[in-house]
Amino acid sequence: MTEQHDIPLVYDNILTPGPEVHLQGGYCPSCDLYHFPQQDRCTECLGTVNTTDLGNKAVIHSVTTIRTRAPLGLPSPYSVAYLDLKHVPLRVFSLMDPAEAGQYSIGQEVELQVAPLGLNNNKEICLRPYFRTCANSAE
Amino acid sequence: MVAIIGTGIIPFGHHLERSIVAMASEATLAALKDANISRETIGACYFANALGGMLFGDTTIGQNLTAGLGIKNIPVVNVENACTSGSSAYYLARLAILAGECEVALVVGSEKMCVPDFGLLNSGTTELDTLLGMVVPASFALRAQRHMHDYGTTEEQMAAVTVKSRAHAALNPNAQFRKKESLEDVLNGPMIADPFTRSQCCPIADGAAALILASDEFAAKYYRAITIEASVLTSGIYDNQADLTHWETDYHAADLAYEKAGISAKDIDLVECHDAFTFSEILHYEALGLCEEGQGGKFVADGHASLGGRTPVNVSGGLLSEGTPSPPPE
Repeated sequence: MTEQHDIPLVYDNILTPGPEVHLQGGYCPSCDLYHFPQQDRCTECLGTVNTTDLGNKAVIHSVTTIRTRAPLGLPSPYSVAYLDLKHVPLRVFSLMDPAEAGQYSIGQEVELQVAPLGLNNNKEICLRPYFRTCANSAE
Repeated sequence: MVAIIGTGIIPFGHHLERSIVAMASEATLAALKDANISRETIGACYFANALGGMLFGDTTIGQNLTAGLGIKNIPVVNVENACTSGSSAYYLARLAILAGECEVALVVGSEKMCVPDFGLLNSGTTELDTLLGMVVPASFALRAQRHMHDYGTTEEQMAAVTVKSRAHAALNPNAQFRKKESLEDVLNGPMIADPFTRSQCCPIADGAAALILASDEFAAKYYRAITIEASVLTSGIYDNQADLTHWETDYHAADLAYEKAGISAKDIDLVECHDAFTFSEILHYEALGLCEEGQGGKFVADGHASLGGRTPVNVSGGLLSEGTPSPPPE
């Protein structure tokens, strides 16, 4: 049986190592700017950026549900969103939990999960990060 | 200055039996005929195609076009710039004339999209957003959802863009969809990406269009020549934080074009713009200054973008009714 750690991540260097999964991105200390995914250089000053933990909680800024044929072996329908991360000032694009497709709304708090979901460009099952309704949304 | 002295287009739709070059050839010959010039007059060719390399492995299609038409010893530039490919070819051809490199230039866009399992367009298969499920309808649907939240734009206002588009297309024999649709028809269609129903998304199509551009001196003998007051090509970056309702790159392009032409939004009588989705046209109203920011939905619902309205937009029916073979110069 394939263990989850044997399954490739859909994109390298976007998650922190460790038991609790967080998004990983870049931080430019000179400009006080965050990036996701991490860039080679800060887009503002072109200086080098540090790898940083971006946290695992966010608020939905906008969300839609795609109800036509899904790409990359994703379930249909599926939702995607722009999220405002709670721990750093950064808005990111994200896949949402397909089990909750169509149930999200702007302003809702969500948290990060990672699980085998869909295929990568080699048509292999892969791990994808996605956000879902917070287990305790009153947090 | 540079002017348009000839145009050619083939109806957009399913041309399953025709190649990219065959469609481009027909559009080119129509443009040459419209301009009443011979092929020997062409001093440069800018050929736009976005998907031929990806779908068919085709490259240097522009040279295949000119060779097939017996046009030789001129520079031929192939332009791939996604949905802006046709406009970019036009931009470059105008610059070549302004630079004195040629007196007359051919601009052609040709595309085949009607192939099995085409799916939804994305911004590149190795991009993180694409791998997380971003497709083009979603990118505009996300903007639309936020616009609805911030400004109260309604589904009915967005559907009004399609209703207008179909009414205009009914007058255009080259459009794919010429049958009028009511607001109810539009809203009751199958949902593609919330809040866009099917007829709020432009259909894919095969097709081609061509323009002949000429210097002022050459165009002086053409009573129908259309002088180009400005042509702008620009780009943006990911702004932190991304503003989904104020499309900064669009505003920048519009402002720059107005500045170069020495005019303002008040001087605009007619607009043709990229309406891949109903809401993208609404964003263009706002960026072009046809209405206040946030009021694009009301602008179209009140009839201001219709023929006979304050500033008619996409009187051809636009991409929503013609279809989107991405690169033909619009």
